[in-house]
Amino acid sequence: MKEELNNLKNNALAQIIEAGGINTLEELRISYLGRNGSVNKFFKELGKLDSDDRKDFGILLNETKKTIEEAIGDKEQKLTQTLSKGDKYFDPSIPGEKYKIGHLHPTTIVINEMFDIFKHLGFSNIEGPEIESDKFNFEILNLPKDHPARSLQDALFIQEPEVVLRTHTSSVESRALTEYKPPFRFVVAGKCYRYENVNASNNAMFYQFQGFALQEGLSMADLKGTLIYFVKKFFGEDREIRARCKYYPEVEPGMGVDIDCRFCKKKGCSVCKGRGWIEMLGSGMIHPNILKNLGYKTEEMSGFAFGMGLDRIVMDRFGIPDIRSLYNGDIKY
Amino acid sequence: MRIPIEWLNEYVKIPKNISVLTDGLTMAGHMLDKIDNTKYGTVIDLELRGNRADCYSILGIAREVSAIFKTPLTHPKTDTLHKTIKKISGLFLKADSNYVKRVMMVKINNVKITKSPDWLKNRLSAYGIEPLNNIVDLTNYVMLETGEPMHAFDADRIGGDVFIRIAKKGEKIITFQNKTIVLTDDDLVWSNNKNILSVAGAIGSKEFSITDNTQNIILEAASYEQANIRRTIYRHNLLTDAGIRHEKKLDPTLVEEGIRRYLYLIKNEGWGEMGGELFDFYPSPITSKRITLYYDYINRLSGFEIDKKISVDVLRRLNMKIVGNTKDSIQVIPPSYRTDIESKEDLVEEILRIVGYDKIPNNVLSLEIPPDKMPEYIEQERSVKNILISLGFEEVISIPFTAPKYQPLNSSLSQRTNPVIVANRPSPEIEEMRMNMLPSEKYTEYRAAGILYWEKDGMSYRKFKGKLEAFFTILNIADVKYEESECQILTESFKILLENNIVGIGGNYKGAYFAEIYLDNLLGKSRITKVNLWPKHPPQIEDMTIKIPRGVMAGEVMQKIKSSSTLVSEVELKDTYNISYTFRISYQHPEKTLTNKEVEKARNSISIKLKNDLNLTLDA
Repeated sequence: MKEELNNLKNNALAQIIEAGGINTLEELRISYLGRNGSVNKFFKELGKLDSDDRKDFGILLNETKKTIEEAIGDKEQKLTQTLSKGDKYFDPSIPGEKYKIGHLHPTTIVINEMFDIFKHLGFSNIEGPEIESDKFNFEILNLPKDHPARSLQDALFIQEPEVVLRTHTSSVESRALTEYKPPFRFVVAGKCYRYENVNASNNAMFYQFQGFALQEGLSMADLKGTLIYFVKKFFGEDREIRARCKYYPEVEPGMGVDIDCRFCKKKGCSVCKGRGWIEMLGSGMIHPNILKNLGYKTEEMSGFAFGMGLDRIVMDRFGIPDIRSLYNGDIKY
Repeated sequence: MRIPIEWLNEYVKIPKNISVLTDGLTMAGHMLDKIDNTKYGTVIDLELRGNRADCYSILGIAREVSAIFKTPLTHPKTDTLHKTIKKISGLFLKADSNYVKRVMMVKINNVKITKSPDWLKNRLSAYGIEPLNNIVDLTNYVMLETGEPMHAFDADRIGGDVFIRIAKKGEKIITFQNKTIVLTDDDLVWSNNKNILSVAGAIGSKEFSITDNTQNIILEAASYEQANIRRTIYRHNLLTDAGIRHEKKLDPTLVEEGIRRYLYLIKNEGWGEMGGELFDFYPSPITSKRITLYYDYINRLSGFEIDKKISVDVLRRLNMKIVGNTKDSIQVIPPSYRTDIESKEDLVEEILRIVGYDKIPNNVLSLEIPPDKMPEYIEQERSVKNILISLGFEEVISIPFTAPKYQPLNSSLSQRTNPVIVANRPSPEIEEMRMNMLPSEKYTEYRAAGILYWEKDGMSYRKFKGKLEAFFTILNIADVKYEESECQILTESFKILLENNIVGIGGNYKGAYFAEIYLDNLLGKSRITKVNLWPKHPPQIEDMTIKIPRGVMAGEVMQKIKSSSTLVSEVELKDTYNISYTFRISYQHPEKTLTNKEVEKARNSISIKLKNDLNLTLDA
């Protein structure tokens, strides 16, 4: 019984020390010292003991009660002191203690946002290697050697022949087209590389965002609808797009998509070179040669693809004036 | 390509409002770059795409305008009198390369070399070619008009036979612009018995060019293998007006149209006399393509219904022949100049671009949603980023190349030996690909999180490690060990181990703390989060100071304390002073509040364990 009482004391003291407010403290007082409190229960047991034990245990019980009362008293004083101190003077304008917060890179923020939009349309997010074979970067995409479009995409080569740093995220499209069975919808974002000197408008590395789908029944109307859904979600419901015919070797029919120039509201200005529209992405139906080479019948299977550069979009969104500062660690929030 | 409106108007009626014209062209695939108002009138500059070789000409654009705006086209007049033969007297051509698809040549005698008349000069100037003399200017004029590049040589300087052949490696040519080009054995050239007359399809030599004293000329127009020309013009930077046309898929039929147009104009202007017959080398004439197009396919690929009559009308406006017509399909023969059209999909694009892409409805993807195929690591990587952000780190994206001066840093921190070297470097910073995150055996690309920590005051290994520990805690990866490692670059160098595999490295680099976490070894290892309820019974807490001599690891001491009794619920390092380490120890039992006796027993176990295992004693 002595031991039980001792435990009760330890328990009570620990809880009193932990108590963070007056209310908690009052609850503790009731639970330990109240009429039906734990201490009183021991007083009720007192009568059952024989006289010697009763005397010893009685002293101990009184001491315990006193200790708990004192501890509650002390704690109460401390808690009220803290309160009254604050009452005297309070300056809410005093700065908080500095807390370091981190940020995602603007490009990551934009990519995440785009992925989330396309997720709603049933697109899965995948990735592919940046060091890529000629086959996946060019051949499969209807870009055989000596194709005129290759000269526009000067690749960075590594020492091993037939291996390049991917020039576009379409390389992931080639991989997915060879690896997965339709139906599928994918979006990809990532680093691409071209033979460029670093200057105010070019990096040798840039980000692309790519989407593609392969499923029986896909049409130009599905492509256009998908892109409009995306543009409105990403750039705003009030934005307009213009779809026009544009040739890309990887698609047929091909479609170029422009967005209205927000600086001049389509009137024409220096930003849009007087066009009123800004080129945003290239797209189209996956080229029949690509599908045929992979064993599909174009009468049965169709797909679409689209791709866009991300760096301009990121710079525009975050007001970053120089493309070099995007990827050299200069960005500060 | 720059299109002078006045010139275009000669072949086709154009809308009064220029922007109606340029909008129509833009929507149909030829985007307006800019409108220039010059002293020769308005010039529209169109951004042409490389597949439409036929559009690199005024006539080509006129055909487009005619199809888009349903206005009739007027063809320029051409010579029809002269027959073609295989050999011209006094001239012999030997083309011994498969790169030559067609060549036509003609000798023109007694040419009158003058300055060009205004109509010729102005049109060339409006386009952007400097006028020279009537003979040369006319070759350029016909090229711009028809799209067929052609070249005039001084016939008397050439002498006898003419060859088209592959150059010998190292052969030289001095161009009419006085530039010396050293040729390779992949360059196609025109030559006589001794000298090179021109780089085929790109540029002529100075020696054989037309001068004021030229009396007789040889005019040639040709069609070559486009890929060969493309290699040559990019190799020698010869992006001439002729070169950029020859590198595209030109229609060999155009060779004859160009030559005959030139002859017509020469005769009309009285600038020379045709000295013989037309020479034509055309070993395998092209045959026309015939494509079957099902109406149903047009609708399916477009995503909306296009009236059959409209489809047929559009194709006819584009000079396609409809040779077969059933209820369901048509047979289409595109004109020879449409070298880009090969498939039914091309024809669908033709119909759509004339009908207008704006007529395509915006369908929201209504097909069944395919199963999600996203690999797990993508979501995990996203959460790794978010965790690090929540710990106060900024995400940096950098260009994965390093300059030579960082070579030692690049290779020494890597577990791999050889970096990937960029073979064609646009600038010196782009030398090798980074192998770690501070500045990818076949090219293994791996996923890593590089963590760099620097603060002005109060930076320490412990502070940095606290962040790393928090990182692993949020990732739900337990039992990560840190061991000292050898490194020439980093001080306080350590490796991070999970189940005896290295999952990261780190250390101090010039005052900043750095760690690289190998995500590929880590992702997927996290456990499912389990929650604990706050204990109902309070812990007994006490501080314990222990002297730990060098050589004994604090981490090990804490491990011993923790494992000495089940009642030890938490061990935390509170303070260190020299070799004195103060630990805060919590004793706790889930079911009851501990008695002093029980705590004392646990404390004794700690004491014995430390004494026995590490020969350490508790401070009094």
